Amino acid sequence: MFAAAKNAGALRAASRAMKAGPRTTTARFASSSAGSSSGSFESFLNSRLTLASASLAAVGTVAWYTHLYGTLPFVGEAHASAASDEGMHPIAYPWSHNGVLDTFDHASIRRGYQVYREVCAACHSLNRIAWRNLVGVSHTADEARAMAEEVEYTDGPNDQGEMFERPGKLADYMPPPYPNDEAARAGNGGALPPDLSLIVKARHGASDYIFSLLTGYIDPPAGVEIREGMNYNPFFPGGALSMGRVLFDGLVEYEDGTPATTSQMAKDVTTFLHWASEPEHDERKKYGIKAVIILSTLFCISIYVKRFKWIPIKTRKLVYEPPVNKGH
Amino acid sequence: MSLSNVFYNTIFKRNSTFVPAVFAGAFAWSIGFEIAVTKFHDSWNKGKQWKDIRDKYATVEE
Amino acid sequence: MATLAAKKAFTIAPTVRTLASGVPHAPALNLAAKPLADGHGHGTSRADKPSAWASSTTLSSAGLVSRTAFTARPTGHFQQRLLSTSAAVKDAPQVPDFSHYRAPNTDKNRTFSYFMVGSLGVLSASMAKSSVSEFLVTMSASADVLALAKVEVELGSIPEGKNVIIKWRGKPVFVRHRTASEIEEANREDWKSLRDPEADSARVKNPEWLVMLGVCTHLGCVPIGEAGDYGGWFCPCHGSHYDISGRIRKGPAPTNLEIPTYDLNEAEGKLVVG
Repeated sequence: MFAAAKNAGALRAASRAMKAGPRTTTARFASSSAGSSSGSFESFLNSRLTLASASLAAVGTVAWYTHLYGTLPFVGEAHASAASDEGMHPIAYPWSHNGVLDTFDHASIRRGYQVYREVCAACHSLNRIAWRNLVGVSHTADEARAMAEEVEYTDGPNDQGEMFERPGKLADYMPPPYPNDEAARAGNGGALPPDLSLIVKARHGASDYIFSLLTGYIDPPAGVEIREGMNYNPFFPGGALSMGRVLFDGLVEYEDGTPATTSQMAKDVTTFLHWASEPEHDERKKYGIKAVIILSTLFCISIYVKRFKWIPIKTRKLVYEPPVNKGH
Repeated sequence: MSLSNVFYNTIFKRNSTFVPAVFAGAFAWSIGFEIAVTKFHDSWNKGKQWKDIRDKYATVEE
Repeated sequence: MATLAAKKAFTIAPTVRTLASGVPHAPALNLAAKPLADGHGHGTSRADKPSAWASSTTLSSAGLVSRTAFTARPTGHFQQRLLSTSAAVKDAPQVPDFSHYRAPNTDKNRTFSYFMVGSLGVLSASMAKSSVSEFLVTMSASADVLALAKVEVELGSIPEGKNVIIKWRGKPVFVRHRTASEIEEANREDWKSLRDPEADSARVKNPEWLVMLGVCTHLGCVPIGEAGDYGGWFCPCHGSHYDISGRIRKGPAPTNLEIPTYDLNEAEGKLVVG
């Protein structure tokens, strides 16, 4: 009840103030031109023509955007797709270099290079790897030099301005199987064998995908039509690829006597390709150990130093001793 | 005089000894740490690295 | 169509009172007070006119706007606290006793604290050092450039008395397998009187093999071998004559032909330039 009475008082006061207020609004101008111009602007704003053209502009903008980009932002879309379009998920394999501290198995890289050279190199290039990259990784300098010299490289021009052939050097890059992409397409029924230098990084599933693909060739299941010249592989997105199964037991003969089974060769060549994609892999993991140790130690010590600096402030005891009244 | 006082009086007390000690320590520590990490890394990856299998392929005269 | 818009914004408390001039009456506040006449006051306010902050009249595109702002004194409802109701504070709050936490031996603590601060410095310094050195490594030549920086030549493929031109870092390098008479000729010259005096022994590692950069020191042409007045090289551009040791003898070139860094591996018969 008290509040209501107070409100009534407030209303009365407000009305009194409003009565007092208009005293200051009495200024008037003899001319009304200023008022009329603003009035025509307002009538323009409120006209049907303005409304219609603004709506048209909005609809037109949206239509134009949709025409240009196909979709509208912030509007969800639904897709219909079959699982086979994405390919099967590759199987996760326990690679010997999986752990955060594990280096590559270099004996495997060496065998993998042999598989690449004898099998894959017939179609796939390895443009970003030079002979010198093999030195200290899988081959000695002399071995790499000998392998490079077996390949003839075009160099020049010489004094007569002509290009000439010379045996390869360590600084030369791996020879491509085809002179250019067009020749590679023509030799493979229109499909371009991809360069393998970065293939492990370039595919989802990385090493697991490469291994699964190499060992995953099977007969197409019932109902799946594979065109002539294509091969069925469930791990390949779409299921059909031009590359056929290339690894068969005993295809190569390893110099270290390892039995050359299909999966052994697939494992070795995948390790080799992983190394080709990440030559810095071993060094990177070693740096990782050092960085983690140093940074975590620094973190702990800095916490100690912070506490050391703050302890005198946080444990401060303020004692107030009131003055003793001695007068009375 | 206890051991901690010996350390304090010889190294920490004067900035002219403390700062050089820090830099000398950093130098020694980076070398020692590198050796220790390499040793651990090599023993963890025994038989996998190139230096472990190099002897099989390197010719004798090298 | 002329519109006269009056926009009023006011905050009114229940007990507001407005003077006839439109100025709110605030008992505790004399709004009409004149500024001090000490030279720091600016202008004077008139009691018969509302102050500018209280009311204004402006002409805008929307018409004539008159604004009146009222700010009234807040009329909160406060209850006075009475002294007799406050409880007397008998005691100060108990401050915990920290003496338990005090270290019995501060010497050890002091050394330990300095040690920890020092370790922080040691680790930071070694990290800073490796950061800087790793950064400097990025400035050096990359591996593929370094791989091309050295050129190997089979010495066995160069017969005596023949020139071979190889390419090294984009420049020609002359390799000459000199005959015994040529070596003798090169040593016979009274080299101290030459334009760029240099002994033949200072220009070769093995007198049989002369290795030079094939760039004329005059304007950078490539001299022609086995030509010129002195049986060595002759630059066709401006006619500089070099002798069989590559020393300048005649023509505009100021210095002898340059010698690159190279290694002669006689056992394997290899020359490594670079």
